[in-house]
Formats: sequence, structure tokens, C-alpha cells
Amino acid sequence: MDDTRILLAHGNGGRLMRELITDVFARHLGNPLLDTDADAVTLPHVDGELMVTTDGFTVEPLEFPGGDIGSLAVHGVVNDLAVAGADPLYFTVSALIEEGLEISALDRYISSFARAARQNHVVVVAGDTKVVRRGEGSGLYLSVAGIGVRRASTRLAMDRIAPDDVVLVSGPVGDHGIAVMLAREQFGLSGELRSDSASVLPLTRAVRDFPHLKFMRDPTRGGLATVAHEIARASGHSVVLDQNAVPLRPEVVSVCEMLGYDPYFLACEGRVVAIVDPFAADDVLARWHALPEGRDACIIGRVETGGTRVILETGLGGRRVLDELEDDPLPRIC
Amino acid sequence: MDNARAWLDKIHAFEFDRPIKIMNVCGGHERSITHAGMRGALPKWLELVPGPGCPVCVCPEEDVYQAIRLALHDKVILVAFGDMLRVPVNVKKGEVRSLAEAQAAGADIRPIASPIDARRIAQDNPDRPVVFFAAGFETTTAPTAAMLAEGIPDNLSILLSGRLTWPAVAMLLDSGSPGFDALVAPGHVSTVMGPEEWSFVIDRHEIPAAVAGFGTESLLASFYSVLRQLKTGERFLDNCYREVAHPGGNPTGRRLLDHTLEVVDANWRGIGIIPNSGYALRPAFAQHDARLLFPDHTDPGRRRAGEMPPGCDCAQVVLGKIYPNQCRIYGKACTPRNPVGPCMVSDEGACRIWWAGGVRVAVDA
Repeated sequence: MDDTRILLAHGNGGRLMRELITDVFARHLGNPLLDTDADAVTLPHVDGELMVTTDGFTVEPLEFPGGDIGSLAVHGVVNDLAVAGADPLYFTVSALIEEGLEISALDRYISSFARAARQNHVVVVAGDTKVVRRGEGSGLYLSVAGIGVRRASTRLAMDRIAPDDVVLVSGPVGDHGIAVMLAREQFGLSGELRSDSASVLPLTRAVRDFPHLKFMRDPTRGGLATVAHEIARASGHSVVLDQNAVPLRPEVVSVCEMLGYDPYFLACEGRVVAIVDPFAADDVLARWHALPEGRDACIIGRVETGGTRVILETGLGGRRVLDELEDDPLPRIC
Repeated sequence: MDNARAWLDKIHAFEFDRPIKIMNVCGGHERSITHAGMRGALPKWLELVPGPGCPVCVCPEEDVYQAIRLALHDKVILVAFGDMLRVPVNVKKGEVRSLAEAQAAGADIRPIASPIDARRIAQDNPDRPVVFFAAGFETTTAPTAAMLAEGIPDNLSILLSGRLTWPAVAMLLDSGSPGFDALVAPGHVSTVMGPEEWSFVIDRHEIPAAVAGFGTESLLASFYSVLRQLKTGERFLDNCYREVAHPGGNPTGRRLLDHTLEVVDANWRGIGIIPNSGYALRPAFAQHDARLLFPDHTDPGRRRAGEMPPGCDCAQVVLGKIYPNQCRIYGKACTPRNPVGPCMVSDEGACRIWWAGGVRVAVDA
């Protein structure tokens, strides 16, 4: 019997499953609150507003320059709580494992998950594993719920966004989208660009108590433009982005130029977009610039009255509407 | 961007007492132009006309129809560039009208981004016939040819709908009313076939032409070049994409194209047969020719020139006769969510590009 790979029997509730949970999951994720024999756990009392979020993770390939599905899942959930102004505390994780996945690979991803969780002072308090038949999954899916806490005085909300507010971003956009694409070695392209997958907690902690900070969001799927659309829709105002100001790495620019992708729609996994009162923008930037994660932070646009559109002011002085994504972006074929 | 500004200033320094139209024949060019907001930044007398530059848009209806039938009835795995999946064919209401609908109806259709993916899918499924619906210009046909020459799995066949770009431009120029004063020649096509393929525009028609890449600077440089040629009366094929498009193109690519494929007369959707404008597999590769392997679904009755859906002016848009928003149904019956014609489907299609760029106001032709 091949004992280096996940079998359907690893999901049958018997000995193999128990051993997998002990040897892989509990070994990496173990902590005083995690009881693998319990059906449910009691959490300690916390002061402040409790916040909860959930997210599912799938990425192809499972490992890419700058991260893997384990660290990606932690960062994704940490970041959703962080941009809401919260500190993450407790996670639950469900792993859907495809029959045939190498156990050593699973071990790497869960170890990476545990490392990222420790770095963000998060503990896993409940978990579950399932095995799906070969061909019914892409190696490993992770579903993670996160509980965090924030001060009751936090006033981050989209409805505070007003015309003339300034749009900031904490660093270059599109790195994750291009890094993962290069890692797939499609289109005969390869490269060393690293994903930006990271916790944004240091960035949000540094600025979340500013009264003139109105809203934060982490651009993930759909990229910067999609966050801008969410802001435009919810606030009832237009968002104007300055093409010359949006930070892009040279590798992202050249791949986009080659394949005809629009960098504003590419995924990020470690950036924050913030909406700030114009006179407080420099304060936020100063705090961000003091952090390694925020070195390249800058003002990239503003909120305008009239419509709920997203407009890109191009380097040539033209104006272009950035429409909402319709289908997945495709590479050019001419 | 500083160089772009400089080119823009030089273009603004020209004065013309009549409107000047520059045609591009590459969806990638049109996308760069629209995305950069170039039209708003250029002088009023200068018009940029998108021409035949979208391989998805000109792929004949009968080929899409055949691909749909193959996928539905022959239990094949059909692989196609993602753009092809939503292209509608003309069928009665209730019938499957696109590959995407065939997929929803249970057909095994897989979108791919590169011909290599077709080979991989065939290798991963040795027990099933895999058909690669290869619509495209020289740029995507060349890698398909290279793959054929290298040898492909026995279970992989190709439904080739490859087209050459220059014959469509030659047809426009020969028509006597080309509708443009200068041409920006396609960068990637020139990378494969060599820039000199476009010399006929100057030699036979005395129309200024320049090869351009996809960056703002390269495109603006090409506009400047053709405008200067118009001004001075000088005529030469300029190359504003020298770092990538070399004289002679890609000799290996051309050799493999020639080795595996022959140039044939071909139908362009809504336009008709253009002489020497298509590729077909050479007889030596007949065992991989899906048209020969699955003859049942070839329907010559569908081979009509004017088979755009009713009201759709895609053919006029493709030929640069009207702008996308001059189509009768642009933004009304036809939007990216419910495309009627292929130009609203593909990311290379002028209608789709204009819509995505925010053009919402339809105007009369």
C-alpha cells in the first residue's frame, strides 16, 4: 500500500484518519484550546466587538513564489478581519483533500498555515478533514473561518466616504495574480516575481485609530478596480484613479503588456486600499512608510461626485472608465 | 510616460486641414489605444479606426457551429481559446447557440490559453478523442503549427480556423475605398511573419504604414511616423517595434507554418471569401485534421457570407466602415453580458473593447 499519499481511507473516520489528524494537523496546529476529540469548544471571554469572517481557498499551483495555499489561507482571513479594524484571534479550518495528494506536501502546507497563524498570534480552535475522490478536487481546498475583536469605538464604514476623500494603496498591485500565473508556466512565460501574499495587520494596526480614516479593504480577486467598484457602489460616488500614481512592478507591467491584461483587475493578497479625509492622507502615509510592508504606499486617486463609476485618468491625460469584470480576463490571442 | 508625452506633442504640432484616419488591424492595439485613453489625448483631426484585428470575430459561423456539434454529438473533448466559448451562432431559439451553452448542456469543453494546453489535455486523456478548435491569426497559428511539427498525441486533432491578417487589408485597399489614410501594422504578426509582409501597403497603394508594439510609446511613435509620411510625401514601412519584430520575422516559426499548413482561400464571418487568407492542414497531417476525421458536421449550407445575426453590424465594424458605437444594436440588444455579435464577445473585439472602456453612448453611422 502506498503510504506516502492521501487515500480515500484517510477520510473514513478510522485509524488512518486519526493518524493523519495527529501526525499532520495536530502536530502543527496544536494549542491548549484545540481539542481534536471534542465536538465543540468554549472560547475565553473577550472585551470589544466580536467579528467573524469566512473564506474558501483554492489556488493552482498549490505552491508559488512567495507562498502556498497554507499561508495564503491564513493571510486571506487575517486580512479580512484586519481591514475591518479587528485583531484576529481564533480560526477554524476545514481541509478538503484530494485522493492522491502527497502527505509530505500536505504536511508542508499545514506547517506553512501554522507558521503564518503563529506570526499573527492566531490559534486554530476547531478543524475538520474530508477526502474527495481523485479528480474531484485540485489537491487541497481550505475553508477557514476567523474570529477577531475590535474596539467598539472603531468607525470604519463605507457610508462615511465622501467626495474629495483620497484613495491610498499600501504597495504595488497585481503581484499575486502575475506570480501565480507565471508559476503555472502558461504562455511559455516564467519568472521570479513573488506573490505579495502577506498579513496586512501591521498596516491596519498602524492607522486604524485615525478618526479621519474612513474605510479599508484588501484588494484580492478582481484587484484594485473591483475594490474601487465596491466603494463606488456603496458610497454613491465615483472613484477616480490616477494611472501614473498606481504602483506597479516592472514584471507586472511587462507581462500585462505582453498578454493584454489589465493590472488593475489582477489579484493582490497583501495590500490595503484606504479611503481617507484629504488632510489626513499624509498622516496615514507617514505611518505606512515607516513599515516595511508600506514602503511603497501612495495616494492613487480620489472620490468624486457624479455617478458611481470607476475612472482611470491615463498617463496621456485621457479618461477611461474601468468597467466591472464580466468574465475572467483572457490573454490576447492576436 | 515622458516619451509618450513627447510623441504626443510632436503629433499635436502637425496641422491637417482634413480628417486623417489611421487604421489598426490588431485587437491588442485597439485595446492599448482605448485603455490609454489615446483618442481623447490626440488632435481632433486624427481618427483611430479599429479594422480587421479580431480572430474570434472573423471566425466563420460554420466553424463555430461544427465545433458545437462535435462537442455535443461525438463525445470528444473540445478545447478552444476561452474567447471562442461565448461566440453565438445563428440557430433557432432553444437550440444550443454557443460552446458555453453546449458545455452547460453536458458537452466536455475546456477553455485553454495556449496550444500547449491542448496537447497536455490529450496526453492526460489518452482514451478520448480531443479536438482543438484553433481559431486565430498567424500569432496563434504558428505555435499550433510548431506543435504539429513536433508531433502530437494520436488522439488529438485540430479544427483549424487560422487566418492571415494581410489579405484582409489587401482586400480593403483593392476595394478602392479602404476608409483609412495610413496603417498601423500588427506587432505580434510581424514578429512571426516579418514586418516586410506589409510592404505592399506602400509599394502597391502608397499608403504610409508602420509596425507598432502594444505600449503607448510604440503606438504613438507609429502614429507620428505615418503622419510625417503623409506630410512629407515620403513613403516607407517604418518599424516602431524593432526590439521584437525583426526583419524576416521568426524563421523557425515560418518554416514550421509552411511545413505543416497550406494557405487557402477562406471565409471570414460576415465578410465572405478572401483569397489566400486561411490556413489548412497539409495532407501529410490528415490524420490530425478534425475536418476529415469528423466530416458529419461539416455543413456547406452554412457557408454564407452575410451570416451575422439580424441587426448586428459586426462585419462593418470589423472592416472599419463604422465605429463600434455606430452599430444599430450596440449597448441596446448587444452587451458583453448578452452578446449578439462576436465583436461584443472577444476581448479582441472592438465592440467589447469600447464597451469595457466605458463607451456607452451609441451614435448614428
